[in-house]
Amino acid sequence: MQPQLKSKVHCSDREVGEVSRVIMDPLSHEVSHLVVSMNGAGERQVPMGAVQAVTDDLVQLRTSSSEVMGMQPFNREDYVTLHEVEIPGLEKHIHVTPGEVLVPFPELERNVKRRAFFANLTYVTGLFIGLPLVYPVMKFLMKPMYAPLDNGWLKIGHIGKMKVEDAGIQFQYKRKIKEAYLHEAEIEKNVWLVKASPAVLEKVYQGKDMEFLNASGEAIWTNKKDVPFLAFSGKCPHLGCAYKWRKHKVLGQVFLCPCHLSIYDASGRVLDGPAPRPLDMLPIQVSAAGEVQIIDMEFKAGTKSQTRIV
Amino acid sequence: MSDIPPAGAQPTVAEKIFTFVDERVGLKLLAAKMLNESVPGGSRWAYVFGSILLFIFIMQAVTGVLLMFYYVPTADHAYASTQYILHDVDYGWFLLSYHFWGSTAMVVCVFAHMSQVFLWGAYKKPRELIWLVGLALFALVMGFGFTGYLLPWDQRAYWATTVGVEIMDKIPIMGDFLARFLKGGPTPGQMTLSRFFVIHVMVLPAALIALAGLHLFLFRCAGPAGPFRGAPAELKAKTDYFFPRQIWKDVVGMAVVFASVSAMAFWEPVVLLEEATPDPGDYHPEPEWYFLFIFQHLRLKMFSGEFGQFLGSMGLPGLLGVMLVLLPFFDRSPERNIFKRPFALIGWVMLTASILLFTVSAIINREFLD
Amino acid sequence: MSPTKLGFGILWPAFWTGLPFKLAFAVLFLAFGIVHFETRIALAFLMLLASPVTVFAVPTITLALGSNIGEGPGIALLFLLAIPIDIWSLGIVGRTFFLERLRREPPGGLGLTLWWKCALVGAIYVPILWVAQGVITEAAITGAYSILEADALRGIPVAEGISIKLTLWSTVATVALMVLLVIGFSLAGRMIRRTVQSAGHAPENYQGLIVRWDLMRVPLDQGWMLTALSGAAVVLSVLFWFSLPVFTPHPHDCCKKPEVMAEPPFKPLETLNKNEKMIAHLAAQVELLVEQRAKSELEKEQSKGKGKEGTETVEAPDATKPAAPTAVNQ
Repeated sequence: MQPQLKSKVHCSDREVGEVSRVIMDPLSHEVSHLVVSMNGAGERQVPMGAVQAVTDDLVQLRTSSSEVMGMQPFNREDYVTLHEVEIPGLEKHIHVTPGEVLVPFPELERNVKRRAFFANLTYVTGLFIGLPLVYPVMKFLMKPMYAPLDNGWLKIGHIGKMKVEDAGIQFQYKRKIKEAYLHEAEIEKNVWLVKASPAVLEKVYQGKDMEFLNASGEAIWTNKKDVPFLAFSGKCPHLGCAYKWRKHKVLGQVFLCPCHLSIYDASGRVLDGPAPRPLDMLPIQVSAAGEVQIIDMEFKAGTKSQTRIV
Repeated sequence: MSDIPPAGAQPTVAEKIFTFVDERVGLKLLAAKMLNESVPGGSRWAYVFGSILLFIFIMQAVTGVLLMFYYVPTADHAYASTQYILHDVDYGWFLLSYHFWGSTAMVVCVFAHMSQVFLWGAYKKPRELIWLVGLALFALVMGFGFTGYLLPWDQRAYWATTVGVEIMDKIPIMGDFLARFLKGGPTPGQMTLSRFFVIHVMVLPAALIALAGLHLFLFRCAGPAGPFRGAPAELKAKTDYFFPRQIWKDVVGMAVVFASVSAMAFWEPVVLLEEATPDPGDYHPEPEWYFLFIFQHLRLKMFSGEFGQFLGSMGLPGLLGVMLVLLPFFDRSPERNIFKRPFALIGWVMLTASILLFTVSAIINREFLD
Repeated sequence: MSPTKLGFGILWPAFWTGLPFKLAFAVLFLAFGIVHFETRIALAFLMLLASPVTVFAVPTITLALGSNIGEGPGIALLFLLAIPIDIWSLGIVGRTFFLERLRREPPGGLGLTLWWKCALVGAIYVPILWVAQGVITEAAITGAYSILEADALRGIPVAEGISIKLTLWSTVATVALMVLLVIGFSLAGRMIRRTVQSAGHAPENYQGLIVRWDLMRVPLDQGWMLTALSGAAVVLSVLFWFSLPVFTPHPHDCCKKPEVMAEPPFKPLETLNKNEKMIAHLAAQVELLVEQRAKSELEKEQSKGKGKEGTETVEAPDATKPAAPTAVNQ
């Protein structure tokens, strides 16, 4: 028990005064000294070591009154009150005030159920405000995230450019895009076309026509397995870099991506490097006059399965 | 926040977390001091306007941030991006219309809050500082309305701003500098849009948050004023704490305002005029409705001429502002009952009536412009 | 207590107590598009706010007096839904008022009793108020205009004139409205007074009464009430999400959305048959044309010989070449 303010102080021989102040140690959070007002003879600072016993209204010292008179006089200027300094957590350890300072507890607040009810009713009312907004705000923010796919055919050139079989030829084309509220702009893209021999065709199609489906699962185009023209998306399926048709020391003429050195053969199959899947095929149409058209598609890079994003 | 857990029950996870934080932060004590504020005379619906204003500000901030996902503050794309929000983004029209009508709700509630404080005499000692900070907040709200109005960059926005800034130009000594500062040049253009945008989304919100925090702190220092009449026994019997009753009333007020603003958004969704051009054409420039009463002053003959314009648009409103600032200092009588303060009551009625009359006059005057 | 204080003291809180619920439905109906407000939205709001007294007056005003506050089946539905809301709010407000201000024991079913009394008073008085206010306002406007038309004041400029006229007639109209409202609240108070007089005295002291009406607001089964309310919030929110128009109902000229027409269903067999039939029909037409051409040429030769008499040259329908079926739905 901590000594209470205003309690009487008894020495071994007689009563000497009362506790006028209490000094606490900011580090240990304990009472370090008592200030005893010596019945009109000034104040003395008494260390707690001299205290023998503490009760509600009495502090018993083990020293004599003359020893206490000889102790250090109390100098107020050496100390500050807790109103003048911030010592974290100290207030929790103070129990020196006799009695309590009280204010009336309002009659209406005594009912715990009432408090709980209105607290919860506040949350429910908040639900009426917040919940209706969730869906519209989500859709608002998600508007451009899943833009519908454009399945328009783009003319990219003439097959006359492709003279050699099983060799990659780059076709560059322009595509008009309109992003949100910006004016229509043109971007340049490229694809790699290969005039395929039957062996390469077999490697690519493996006996099945290649179907391209739209978002709802309907077929928009089928690349027939006997049409000898292949179109590969100009972006490497590893991380989207533009790749080239180059002569490799060991593997011969291949598609080579300069970013991370993925290597593909003329059928798009991965020969070497970190590519997770073969080159992405695009729908291709060649007219009787030799005009080549493709549907511009882009696929998610870095994944084993093919997911169309544009 | 349950008060007393049922005796003998195992503490729930929530209670354990609460105790963990409480040991380190003094959360229980903090919560008690923050929430258990005694409201003399009990919680009242009349006191909800302050919290409602906070709610409206939060909603404006939320819808404003959402709009910023698509809006661009450049003269070539401001209009197109706003139309994009209105027509192409899912529910964009609703969020923009909510933001637009929310600003109206803000001005209406500011007026209601100021009137409530005035009529309850809650600006008197010791609450003078709260009143002063509140007047500064009022000025900020007007600033929000003025700067935000320009952003869609349609004819209405552009010309309302042009007229407004020209009015500011008429302030003696400082006017030209201030007008050029706001316009970012001699005439309104891209620089104006950029300045208004940054003021609207960064400068004013930061200032408002800071001043609103100060306003709340000062309010807690002084305590709620409570009703202006009532026997002490009556007041004591009805006293309850800020939490939960007053907070609950505040939330219901917020819900009513939310529903009202949504209803307005459905009733009159935002429709832009033509894109801003240097030639007003057939369009008659007009400021937002809460500036209309000042706008109408300028149509009166007594406020014509350069000095007259300054007097009508800035001088008189400025004088009113100064009077409001000085109010707690020349009205020192401790009487708070509005029915025993005839000057205050009559003054408030006259001011409200004249603002209303001039606003409606401005609207009627539209028909006479063609 | 004076009947006016009684009427106002019960009706004013009851109006505002019911408002949040009515507004929630109003917003939902606006989202669904089953209600539209035009310039009279403020009036519609006031009518809905005061629904305990206006619920039976609105049909009278709309039908008999020919002025409506809004369009759509939603209006009637809103006022219909307002009935149980008002009975509840009059109940809670009535009981509070009886306990605190009148210190009397509220009788059972107070909400319903108050509601039919107020609705009855309103059904009779509100249309009268409506008509009276309308007449007075019109007279005031005409009066204000004629005052300013007088020779002495003719020189007043437009803006000043507007404000003066407005002040004159709006003061008269406002005072008239205040008076009519006070009369209305007094009438309601008189109706309610009978219920008050038959009520017994409440036993508690002041603090006891306050605690009683305060705790009256706490339901016996909180969990059920709160769950039910949360469920209502979820249901209303989902309905709101479903009904909220995705794109603005008032598009600007720049960006009107094209009318979405449903794609005609693709029926391959039918199309093939149609095509076959069309081809057959066209083939027949071509044959007919060839025949006609041959005939007309023959006739021309004959008429050349005969001269200009008689035959009119048949205008071969060359212009209407049968259009080749290019745009067949694939």
